[in-house]
Amino acid sequence: MRTEFRLPDIGEGLAEAEVIRWLVGPGERVAEDQPVVELQTDKAAVELPSPAAGVLVEQLAAEGDTVRVGAVLFALDMGPAAADAGAHARGFAALPQASPAVRRLARELGVDLAAVRGSGPHGRVLETDVRAAAEAAAAPRPAVVPTPAAVARPADPDEERQPLRGVRRQMADNMALSARTIPHVTGLHEMDATALGELWSRLRARAERFPIDVLLVRIAALALRQHPIFNASLDEAAGEVVYHRRINVGVAVSTPQGLVVPVVRDADRIDLRGLAAELDRLVAAARSGRIALADITGGTFTVTNSGGWNGWFGTSLIHHPEVAIMGVGRIQERAVVRGGQLVVRPIMPVAITFDHRIIDGEAGMLFAQTIRELVEGPEGLFL
Amino acid sequence: MVAGDQSQPVDCLVLGGGPGGYVAAVRAAQCGRSVTLVEGDRLGGVCLNEGCIPGKALMEVAGLRSRVAGMAAAGLGGAAPPVDLTAFQAWKRSLVARLAGEIEELLHGSGVRVVRGWARFAGRTRVGVRTGEESTQYFDFKDVVIATGSRPAPLPSLPFDGDRVCDPGQALDWTDLPTSMVVFGGDPVGLELASAFTLLGSDVALVDPGDRLIPAMDADLSRAAAEAARQAGVRLLLRSRPRGMDGATVVIDTPDGELRLPAARIVVSAGRLPRLDDLDLAAARIRPPVDRFEVDDRLRVERHVFAVGDVTAGPQLAHRASAQGRVAGEVLGGRASAMDAVVVPEVVFAQPPLASAGLTAEGARAGGLEVAVAHVPFGVLGRGLISGAERGWARVVYELDTGRLLGAHVAGGAAGELIAAAVVAIEMGATLEDLALIVQAHPTFAEAISGAAEAGLGRPLHTVSGGSRATL
Repeated sequence: MRTEFRLPDIGEGLAEAEVIRWLVGPGERVAEDQPVVELQTDKAAVELPSPAAGVLVEQLAAEGDTVRVGAVLFALDMGPAAADAGAHARGFAALPQASPAVRRLARELGVDLAAVRGSGPHGRVLETDVRAAAEAAAAPRPAVVPTPAAVARPADPDEERQPLRGVRRQMADNMALSARTIPHVTGLHEMDATALGELWSRLRARAERFPIDVLLVRIAALALRQHPIFNASLDEAAGEVVYHRRINVGVAVSTPQGLVVPVVRDADRIDLRGLAAELDRLVAAARSGRIALADITGGTFTVTNSGGWNGWFGTSLIHHPEVAIMGVGRIQERAVVRGGQLVVRPIMPVAITFDHRIIDGEAGMLFAQTIRELVEGPEGLFL
Repeated sequence: MVAGDQSQPVDCLVLGGGPGGYVAAVRAAQCGRSVTLVEGDRLGGVCLNEGCIPGKALMEVAGLRSRVAGMAAAGLGGAAPPVDLTAFQAWKRSLVARLAGEIEELLHGSGVRVVRGWARFAGRTRVGVRTGEESTQYFDFKDVVIATGSRPAPLPSLPFDGDRVCDPGQALDWTDLPTSMVVFGGDPVGLELASAFTLLGSDVALVDPGDRLIPAMDADLSRAAAEAARQAGVRLLLRSRPRGMDGATVVIDTPDGELRLPAARIVVSAGRLPRLDDLDLAAARIRPPVDRFEVDDRLRVERHVFAVGDVTAGPQLAHRASAQGRVAGEVLGGRASAMDAVVVPEVVFAQPPLASAGLTAEGARAGGLEVAVAHVPFGVLGRGLISGAERGWARVVYELDTGRLLGAHVAGGAAGELIAAAVVAIEMGATLEDLALIVQAHPTFAEAISGAAEAGLGRPLHTVSGGSRATL
């Protein structure tokens, strides 16, 4: 049976992707989850896996074409000869939990049910969820970039113009959205990094690659467990605060293409060795420009570490739709007073920025306090 | 201009007036398209004229007869009433005529034009309809729906002669009850015919080359069907094939060697072949399928060519054809419809009736799903005992993790009706907890569904673990 597959809603507000290369030719057999086509999105190069087993009967976009989300990308023959019995059962279970009428409404409104978070019991997708998703999709994207028509004017020899595209365009959109919609509040905290520094150097002696980001992600993840409001989102349409059960910590990475935020899933459940390996993989993927979409979506909180540069405090913009971000500056020796004596201590500047719509100042200070306890008493990372 | 080239422009052209075609035509018309439907035989197709409806009519009579014969202990007569197949045929014809009239009225009332004759493509967008010996009308269509259905597949060793060797549709036209009869094919159609004629009083053998009857269904349903058939007196010959006829007997190869059975009548139910060969698809540059059309979820073969029903790959069921017709009609009408039904139920109208919807436990596990099965025997239901269905049962297959209902299988009782409750539940994404919390009337077979759900949740009210039972 011929079934058409559309470019899925790949999250992050991405609306289109460019076909770089077809990995499966017409008439070729493809297994479930086998990459079919390589796409370049605003954010990254991605390989799109086949949602089912079958024979690729048609490619509906040429290499170099730009395809909008929702447009038909390819067609598979999933006839009985092409698909195995198990695929039927898997397809069955993967169906969104929605009634036939809701499924029809989603089709009519062009909403991909698989991408809708259901508000009903057990994540059941309700009619209101589909309508809200359709409205969200129809909302105009922030116009932060002049249209080509507006740019079309005589070239000024004193300036050079570069189109704002890809990751940079995405950064522009997300930051503008964040600044426009979120009332940011930042608390600045100097923390004593003596114990953390000792722990870090011991760990570095035992592991080949162990950036301090591993410890920062762990600290954030454990603090988020105690302060669930920092691991939440605001669903403005529904007027509800959404508490996320999973703690997925994004780590801001500067890449040749621009800012990318890969996400460590279940960061509170991985041990330090696993966390180091996962971060290593994510950072390498981000820098190569070939990170999988699944690795840059679904974050619930972000850590940004500018310690590699000679900065002191910095404030950050929250990665929408998250509600908080932790910025860490360079650890530097400072003169501080301990017990009436002037002593030299390594001091880590930490800026906690939060969405004041749902987090008040007291909650912000309590969260910072938990962070401080973990930084100054890092044995807490092992408890 | 050559007379034969004169053609009428039409909007949508539907080829075939069976349950797929007429539904597609009506729905497309309801959505604002101008529709012409071509039918060379009778409206309603195989389903109405020689399949579902006549078959179920015969089973109704056969089932009632055997039920009456089994009610002596309840104080009712005790003997099976005599059977008059000539009278049955008149009754059946009146049922069919009435339903055919309703289809005709529906088509007419929806503004669908019906052209009588056999269709054949005559160009990329042209169909010729032979309306008489010498006359052909041509139509130029914008969109075409191929809904030409299927015909019975023959067995080379037992070619149909319409008299002694019949296809299932012809068997439903008999006016006399055969003393002896051999049915080849343990599919639902073969099983239904074997079951009905046995209960009416014929001496029936049922022959199939496979290991079990109705192999597409749950293995326990196959076992229930085989057990009931044997008990009713059907001679069941599995792993056996026909070799041919020899005078009054039919020769069968069985695992135990050659067997000769007397057979006044023979019915061959060896599947159905799509009716595509007379259409001249090449004239419209439509690539003929190897077997049947592989359509997408909008029922398209090509942009302006749709196919529904038995000419498409998948189970050959009237209700699937109608569902496809509904979707095709809506797509033709510009709506964003698609075939996204999770389950298409299947019912075998034998004695006992059997019904299935969704996944079997084995099928689900083959797909890597973790599932469990909850089971309720009808013997613990008041309705089961009253209706003589104490050997029947209902079971649900559900996902362990979520409790979501994935399949349901019913043997006996009101299986064909009961399965509807499960179909609704599966399509709505119901969980075991949902089913357990719903109140069903007492005493009905529907209690088996909520009962199975409660058993699955570990709080059974109809059965007690350890073998003892509480009967409601």
